[in-house]
Amino acid sequence: MTERETGPALEMKNVSKRFPGTIAVDDVSFEVSPGEVHALVGENGAGKSTLMKVLAGSFDDYTGTIAVNGRVETLHSPTMAKKCGIGMIYQELSLARPISITENLLAGRLPRRGFLLDKKRAREQAQELLQHVGLDLNVDLPIEDISQHEAQLVEIAKVLGNKPSILVMDEPTSALSREEVDRLFAIIGNLKKQRIAIVYISHHLPEIFRIADRVTVMRDAKKIATKSITEVSREEIVQMMVGRSVKEFYKRSERSLGDVRLTVRGLTRLGFFHDVSFQARRGEIIGICGLSGAGRTELARVLVGLDKAEEGTIELDGKPVKGSSMAAFLEQGIAYLTEDRKIEGLCLRLAVDDNILSAIIDRLSSASVFSKSRGAPLVERLIGELAIYPPDPSRTVGNLSGGNQQKVLLAKWLASEPRVLILDEPTRGVDIGAKLTIHTSIEKLAREGCTVLLISSDLPELVGLCDRVIIMRKGHFTREMNYSECSEESLLLAANGEGSA
Amino acid sequence: MNADSRAVRSSSFSRIVNTAGVYGIALLFLVLGLLLQLTGAIGNFLSVQNMLNIVDAVALVGIVAVGMSFVTYSGHYADMSVPTTMGFTGYICIELLRYGFLPAILGALVVGLLIGLLNGFVIGKFKANPIIWTLAVNYVTLGIIRLVWVNKQIYPDLQGSGQAAVALFDSIYRLRFFHLIGLPLVILIILVVVGQFVLTRTSFGVKLKVTGSALRAAKFSGIDVERVILVSFVLAAFTATIAGLAVTSLSRVGAWYNGAGYDFKAVTAIVIGGMTLAGGRGSILGVLGGSLIIGILNNIMTLVGIGTFSQDMVRGAIFIIVVGINAVSLRSLGRDDA
Repeated sequence: MTERETGPALEMKNVSKRFPGTIAVDDVSFEVSPGEVHALVGENGAGKSTLMKVLAGSFDDYTGTIAVNGRVETLHSPTMAKKCGIGMIYQELSLARPISITENLLAGRLPRRGFLLDKKRAREQAQELLQHVGLDLNVDLPIEDISQHEAQLVEIAKVLGNKPSILVMDEPTSALSREEVDRLFAIIGNLKKQRIAIVYISHHLPEIFRIADRVTVMRDAKKIATKSITEVSREEIVQMMVGRSVKEFYKRSERSLGDVRLTVRGLTRLGFFHDVSFQARRGEIIGICGLSGAGRTELARVLVGLDKAEEGTIELDGKPVKGSSMAAFLEQGIAYLTEDRKIEGLCLRLAVDDNILSAIIDRLSSASVFSKSRGAPLVERLIGELAIYPPDPSRTVGNLSGGNQQKVLLAKWLASEPRVLILDEPTRGVDIGAKLTIHTSIEKLAREGCTVLLISSDLPELVGLCDRVIIMRKGHFTREMNYSECSEESLLLAANGEGSA
Repeated sequence: MNADSRAVRSSSFSRIVNTAGVYGIALLFLVLGLLLQLTGAIGNFLSVQNMLNIVDAVALVGIVAVGMSFVTYSGHYADMSVPTTMGFTGYICIELLRYGFLPAILGALVVGLLIGLLNGFVIGKFKANPIIWTLAVNYVTLGIIRLVWVNKQIYPDLQGSGQAAVALFDSIYRLRFFHLIGLPLVILIILVVVGQFVLTRTSFGVKLKVTGSALRAAKFSGIDVERVILVSFVLAAFTATIAGLAVTSLSRVGAWYNGAGYDFKAVTAIVIGGMTLAGGRGSILGVLGGSLIIGILNNIMTLVGIGTFSQDMVRGAIFIIVVGINAVSLRSLGRDDA
């Protein structure tokens, strides 16, 4: 592809980026060779996303030098970065939902014939791009009609269509199921053969050991080390990331289970899940495990009153749950931590305390007069308990790191003192420190008698926290495992429909 | 504890500075008027009568703006049905004056509230685009006025049974406490005080803030967002009705054009007052300052002899500049979600 085969494809030297009051990237040097997968890891807020934003041309005021294929470039705008052959694949998709796959893939360079679009050629080109990522879809479909993980692959195809020589992937697997991850890794293998340099950002260490050649660890805006993947262990990486050793991630404490709190019988939402029944006790943590598309989130939405079930009953402490709105369910003590933190979970423009108190406005009001000061001790306690950083209730949530945002979201539901708390991917994309804190408070909540339903794709999390795990597959409860039977392997096999059923 | 309270204080301090900034600008405009008078460009800007003119104009814009700011705060931009709500309720009031003063006022308020309920219900429940929907309501109401009153203005019946009521109605705009303070100003001050309290201290105000900041997050927090939106449109229609009655009392005529231009004047006052169109930010006190600026500016432009159409252009330009500055400063706050 390039005339230079020996030198690095990307060489960042002494790069720094300051924001008012903080330094987000502090004198970082980083290089990637052609055909190499270079993993970039670090807790949330360590500066890896900012470093990659520098590369993407998001800032015009970084310091240091960046050389692409041996030539020093000034990456002050996204256009410039694109011209230098830098492609970015973010967690958040950059696709326009109402328009077709073709138009998304070829945005800005749709083939023409005279003044008219050459639709036939566009379709062919789009199909060809999709083949690179192993997708076989009708390219006339709008993005909103395909699934989330298909859209993720379309996004990758779109970026590849610009023929990048350096490709940055930021948590590309967070929304993918296991088969899709395998497919993505096959694609990455192909890209390596084409001598494309790949920067791979992930929290998922096993993935890194599968595909990376080298790994660079960042912490507190600085680079800690770059190592060949063959010369480090998982524990060493974690230690470099957190700056301390996480000896035992999950320490189980004894909990006693109380009476039956939640009884679900024959719950059915046609097309999503069928005949779901289970009971949950006070103080119990029940995991719900399944691949994406298994119906877990859809089940949660019915359990919290967002959607209506066609059949079945939900009982809380022996009484049927009344009402049909989320507000009504919440009043009876059923709370839901959504997996979509930024849109459904938090008001990013409001302060930490506004967010934490937003689910208990009526409880803090008497005769319609709201008293924020009455909620202040609660906010202070939760900020302390969850180690929300910075510990400032008036800080705008949008300016916190992802992990701290997630803690604020959890704090909001802890403040509502729920009888049943349904957690949907509570630690997705969150750094290890925050994860530990979140797990500790989930356990504490259960010890205090709350019933917790934990929907998660993080297998160690399910194994470490849950008393029981229910396996969901294609809309059905297929199996239930006790704590003693649970292991990452057994859960994975069950979720995929393998192993003894 | 110490650091926390300091942070809280500094943020409320900056809020006060922002609001004070709006009043500072208002003061600058006053100084501008004074300078123009000193240079002889305009006569008697600083006269008592002219100051009263300004205050009266501010009162009308301010009354509309206070109610409409709840809509803006809820993240639904503006209520464009204000002009004909004002006009329509004026007709209703004059028609009902023959049955007495109170029935006339109440009748107008009921009609105004119905318009607000309709707006709030449709926009809250069916997520209609607020600008398009209220604009449509504005024109439908206009059509109704022209159909019912056959394209005529109507005048209070000075001969018939409702003379006393008409006299009372007449005095809405002309009543002056201590020969100075007009009733609309008193109403405005009450609305500002109550509005500021509702926005900052009541559970409705807090829910409105959450709703305006992130509608879906509010819904997922168990807030009845449809009701919150409904109430905010009802409040906008309520103050529009009050302003409509005041204007009708001023002109002594029910006319479709009585409320013309108040939609945009109010939105401009709201935006100048520091309430962002994105919702969830700003205060009623700021909106009062914005109304002051609009009132003084209009007055100066009229005194200088700038025509109505040119005034519209100036207001439009100011609106664009303020919204632009707002957008840029919000963007530069910079959010790093790393």
